[in-house]
Amino acid sequence: MEPSNAPIRSNPLGVAVLLGLAGLWEVLVRFKIAELQFLPAPSEIAVAARETLVGGELIERVVHTLGVTILGWSVASVIGVCLGVLLGLSPVAYRYSMTSFEVTRAIPPITFVPAALLIFGFSLKMELVLVIYGGIWPVLINTIGGVRSIPSELRDVGRMLRLSRTETIKKVVLPAALPSVVVGLRLALSLCLVLAIVAEMVGNPAGIGNGLISARQALQPALMFVYVIVAGLLGVALNSTLRAAARLILPGNAAKDVAL
Amino acid sequence: MIDHDRTAGTASRSRVWTGLGSLPGLLPLVLLLGLWQVLGSPDSPFFPAPSSWWPALFTRGQGDKILPAVFDTIRTFGLGLSIATILGVSLGLLVGASRRVGRAMGPTFEFARALPPAAVVPVATLLLGFDESMKVVVVVLAALWPILLNTSSGVAELPPTLLDTARSLRLSKTATVFRVLLPSVMPAIVLGVRVATPIALVITLLVEYLTAVNGVGALVGEAQRTFQPARVYALIVIAGLISLCVNSVVRSIEDAVRRRRVGDLR
Repeated sequence: MEPSNAPIRSNPLGVAVLLGLAGLWEVLVRFKIAELQFLPAPSEIAVAARETLVGGELIERVVHTLGVTILGWSVASVIGVCLGVLLGLSPVAYRYSMTSFEVTRAIPPITFVPAALLIFGFSLKMELVLVIYGGIWPVLINTIGGVRSIPSELRDVGRMLRLSRTETIKKVVLPAALPSVVVGLRLALSLCLVLAIVAEMVGNPAGIGNGLISARQALQPALMFVYVIVAGLLGVALNSTLRAAARLILPGNAAKDVAL
Repeated sequence: MIDHDRTAGTASRSRVWTGLGSLPGLLPLVLLLGLWQVLGSPDSPFFPAPSSWWPALFTRGQGDKILPAVFDTIRTFGLGLSIATILGVSLGLLVGASRRVGRAMGPTFEFARALPPAAVVPVATLLLGFDESMKVVVVVLAALWPILLNTSSGVAELPPTLLDTARSLRLSKTATVFRVLLPSVMPAIVLGVRVATPIALVITLLVEYLTAVNGVGALVGEAQRTFQPARVYALIVIAGLISLCVNSVVRSIEDAVRRRRVGDLR
């Protein structure tokens, strides 16, 4: 039973529950049963959403956050996969660097935000660096794991067929490690979105993160909820796009293996 | 979900604590820090030399803020993770036991899980104010999902004969849950908690940093706003140490649970 596997289209019950919860929220706020000073009703949120959508501000912010997330994630993926294949294939490189990676990885990426702010200032560069840095880790770790768990017979086949090093990587190593790599890519994508939003909240004044903070400071809770919901929808959209892409790329059983 | 976490888990299983064999792996880090020490000056606004980090913790009488901050962070983290575990396991058992409930809650969970925790912070501060309970709520909201999903798929994957046995032994409902269901789902739960651990810690630091309410995260933010780069780096190291400790504690708990289970089967 995996809730995320149930597509929304074919799950009227689930959609009904979601709408029912929104309705309950509306009633609670309307009749002042929930005593929270700044809690807007869903209808107010909808009005705020229409206003910022018409003003074009929402689109602009979404485009910014989405762009940075995808750009940063792509760069992080390339670096992570290349480095991961290298470390996975070479026992020497693995032995003489893995502990360093483990120790560095243990430091929560969030704590690098202040350092990045000091170094790069309030800029797009700071946001991108942070997104790339955070995104590398899941890809790297899962690629190493995937490459190292390739059965040695498989690599022997490559040797027997006298494939060159690049050909072995392209035709044997990468396809065999792909399911694990995809898991890393998926973890990285959600992480990149989170980091982009954090960077926008504290550093780069653009995008959804900044929208949230400005709405918070202007005491416009309805607008703030609009951005929270948009951030959630963005997360769902990115995740399901990647899942669909993975189903296309991976052969049937492998897709099941990584439980996409 | 459970498989994906397991893959990520085995790959990330740390080799840091497996003894002297892992020492050569520290070489690049040591080299980097050494180079940094040689090339960096203590007054650099961006890259102050590592030797200036430790003293920076204690300048301007800020030394006695460190320990309370560490305790604050660990308390919020521990409280958040515990509540998330209790909530995640109970909801997970419910969702896993009934296909219907699982389907009904599917889209709601899917959306709540995709909400970036950072986006929740401004809402939480607006509704709940700047205090300890707000921090814990945000941590619970983020750490809940891996535990919930692992528990529910753990329940769904149980062999049906197991529950049939419980029924033929005429065990009561509570006895079935506590003596059959929970023990057999335990490995999945523990796996979920291990995946949730780094998330809970990151979110704790994030909330502290964003709201400046107590803890190591708040100190890092303060050091950054007052332009004390050496202090920022020192606090990053402290956050890393907390993370290493917390992860190895959770991992040894996981190993203990595994070992006990293997003992049971024998």
